[in-house]
Amino acid sequence: MVDDADAVPTELQSELAEILGPEGLITERSQRRTYESDGLTAYRAVPALVALPVSTEQVSGVMRACARHGVPLVPRGAGTGLSGGALPHPDGVLIVLSRMRRIVDVDVLNQRITVEPGVTNAAVSRAVAPHQLYYAPDPSSQIVCSIGGNVAENSGGAHCLKYGFTTHHVLGCELVLPDGQVVQVGAATLDPPGYDLRGVLVGSEGTLGVVTQVTLRLLRRPESVRTLVADFTDPASAGTAVSAIVAAGVVPAAVEMMDNLAIQACESDAAAGFDVNAGAALIVELDGPEAECDASFAEVVALCQESGATAIRIADQPDERARVWQGRKAAFAAMGRLAPDYLVQDGVIPRTRLGECLARIAELAADAELRVANVFHAGDGNLHPLVLFDSSRPGETERAEALSTAIAELCVSFGGSLSGEHGIGADKACSMPKMFGAEDLAIMDRVRAAFDPDGRCNPDKVLPTPRLCGERPGRYRPHPLETAGVIERW
Amino acid sequence: MPSRSEAAGPNPPDLAAGADVVTVARPTDLAGARDAVVTAGTAGTSVLIRGGGTKLGWWARPRGGSSPVEAGPSSGRASSVDNQRPSTVIDTRGLDQLIHHEPGDMTATVQAGMRLDLLQAALAPAGQWLAIDPPRRGGVVTVGGVFAANDAGPRRFGYGGVRDLVIGSTTVLADGAVSRSGGTVIKNVAGYDLNKLWCGSLGTLGLVVELTVRLHPLPEATKTVRIPAAAASASSFVTDLLASPVECVAVEWSGDALVIQLEGRAAGLDARLDQLARLAGEHGLEPELVDDDVWPALREAHGGAPGATVVRASTLPSQLGAVSDALAAAAGTDVSVTLHSHAGLGLHDAVLTGGDASTQAAVIGTLRTAVEALGGHVVVRDRPPELDDHLDPWGVPGSAIELMRSVKRAVDPEWRFAPGRFVGGI
Repeated sequence: MVDDADAVPTELQSELAEILGPEGLITERSQRRTYESDGLTAYRAVPALVALPVSTEQVSGVMRACARHGVPLVPRGAGTGLSGGALPHPDGVLIVLSRMRRIVDVDVLNQRITVEPGVTNAAVSRAVAPHQLYYAPDPSSQIVCSIGGNVAENSGGAHCLKYGFTTHHVLGCELVLPDGQVVQVGAATLDPPGYDLRGVLVGSEGTLGVVTQVTLRLLRRPESVRTLVADFTDPASAGTAVSAIVAAGVVPAAVEMMDNLAIQACESDAAAGFDVNAGAALIVELDGPEAECDASFAEVVALCQESGATAIRIADQPDERARVWQGRKAAFAAMGRLAPDYLVQDGVIPRTRLGECLARIAELAADAELRVANVFHAGDGNLHPLVLFDSSRPGETERAEALSTAIAELCVSFGGSLSGEHGIGADKACSMPKMFGAEDLAIMDRVRAAFDPDGRCNPDKVLPTPRLCGERPGRYRPHPLETAGVIERW
Repeated sequence: MPSRSEAAGPNPPDLAAGADVVTVARPTDLAGARDAVVTAGTAGTSVLIRGGGTKLGWWARPRGGSSPVEAGPSSGRASSVDNQRPSTVIDTRGLDQLIHHEPGDMTATVQAGMRLDLLQAALAPAGQWLAIDPPRRGGVVTVGGVFAANDAGPRRFGYGGVRDLVIGSTTVLADGAVSRSGGTVIKNVAGYDLNKLWCGSLGTLGLVVELTVRLHPLPEATKTVRIPAAAASASSFVTDLLASPVECVAVEWSGDALVIQLEGRAAGLDARLDQLARLAGEHGLEPELVDDDVWPALREAHGGAPGATVVRASTLPSQLGAVSDALAAAAGTDVSVTLHSHAGLGLHDAVLTGGDASTQAAVIGTLRTAVEALGGHVVVRDRPPELDDHLDPWGVPGSAIELMRSVKRAVDPEWRFAPGRFVGGI
């Protein structure tokens, strides 16, 4: 029995037990507590029940039952999300998709794969590797994060500069709507008649329904991959190099930057061979046909030198390249070596404003008396400032949270975005009015209601609500982009 | 049949078919666009949107009533136009400005009625372009029109569709609400990506006024290879090409030959041409290098000649041979058929001429049955109006049709934008 009394009706619990069997329903509080947060551990809530379905029919049954009883539900994949998108509802059912991990179909000829949502991102590429195929989006957590979670968050990764995000690689989904109805959105073939609901679904953070099957586009492995690490005295000159590369018409597969603090953390954790004395390190990776890749690579080396690179290391051996990426992808985890606690931010700015923005972040950090390490996808202006703090010191957690939010909102004021790949979730819903006007948000809410008229599917995520963020006065307020000088009022 | 030049006029027959047009509005800015929509609402008219006017025939004919619920069974079939609201036409061609181009960020914001050719000309001095190459379809296309119709050309294979390149949009809804979605940066997951909803909605949800797009560098060099091949051998070559490391930006098949475009750095193109030639040799095919100027004709062939019926079939790339066979089996003596395929994408356009409407409908019906059996689908684009008496241009909608109707109701509750013109009677 549910021990935190009356969180959900007893009838619902017995109905779910019937649908899911003894293996598929967690009622013990101590076991439910395992699921109290996702990758954003600052937010916690113990779900009233945890459902572990193994089939579309079970997901549909659970959602039908929740609909009958008016109980909220929250979908969860591997729980690696960084915006609290899978934060449970204390009076709701958490639907965990990790037991749905079948690869349903591989179509090598047409370079498509259909998987259940619990299959990990890396497992998709692994399954098709013998055919020289791979799945392009590569979030840092790819070894554990699931495709269902990737669809919910429209996940990116280091290589999305050239190859795009999850939305460019999802062809179709089987979707269970909040009332339990099962529909197919998108298809293995292109442009099925009707609205592109698949495009709306990808990145909707579990607020429109639960995805139970996904058909993905696969890519042929490129013929050649070239990688270099260039050191600079500071991030601004590394930023100049990035601009020069882009202006030359080169579209790298990835361009990543780390500042000195981030380099120190990575190096002490992964020993990937970064120079701990460099002010900034740029990782540039090119891929494609061999001769062209070589020509562009020579150009990139020259441009880095012209922009003031103090050293350039070419990581052409596969194991060398793997070490560089391992070092970069371990950046978040490595922060534990610099401070007991950290917050990851995920703002986006127009690439051309990188220098200005970093200077402002440094000022904000100095004002807050906190250190900020910077890791970012420099090619597309996606910043991951890591705010370091010690929660055991009174007031420091609050200062760190305020600084992190200020950085995200700073990105918006530069004409950028609150989030490039981690999502809005529970974390940033109240910042949404900084980026969107009341009308924009109202229309998103109307679209949400078309999928979920009762508002039971992952409530209190993505869109701000008065309950969550406090009432705001009516009347005209300038659109946030208007204030930023990006748009004009009609 | 109306000629193409008439169809591009201020009140084209396709647009007005069955509609009683009372006003034509030509806004030049967001405020004017919003006014036009609000005024139409106050006057109680429907709103039909046109840009260059080259794809208006893709719509289904309008139905009576303000929603399928009121109109009775939602078959989506063209039917009588009783109880038809009069219409306001909004002509977007006055929304023709490039608002901002940021070469360093490779982004641009344009008004939706801007001519695509003029946009490309404005971007070219910076060595950039919006990587879409849709057919001109006998007229002049606008950026917004290509977006609303989700139209594309051969290089969609290499760059993705317009859906993949639009990163922000400003859209006026029926009640005058202005919806901004996405933003001005390429990477952005804040809020729902409503850009995708507007793309391909054929003006049935709202008036798209501005678009922010991702740009690409113009290629340093291009090469075009023609490989004579019948559909079946072309089909098996294409799947081998997809499996090879040879990167192409366009893979077309038209009638009797594959035509493939390579783009990139001058330094490496010859090596890729050699690889392509080797692969063709393994299939017993003989490639020849041809001039890049073959592309406009290949691209336009997808739109057919004026007056032709154009049928779009979508399948997996490996099914080109099967589509070609199905079409040959369906075509009778009266109807002549040519097939133009974006072979690398599995998108095929069959152009039908000759025969009366019922004969053409029979050919299309047979093709549709065969393609649906392959797991694909068939929609009819340009066509004589009489064809709709025999055949639903959209076909049977999929399992998400009720969800699509809910979305329509949520966004356009009075069913004001082009009622009855979309799939399933939306």
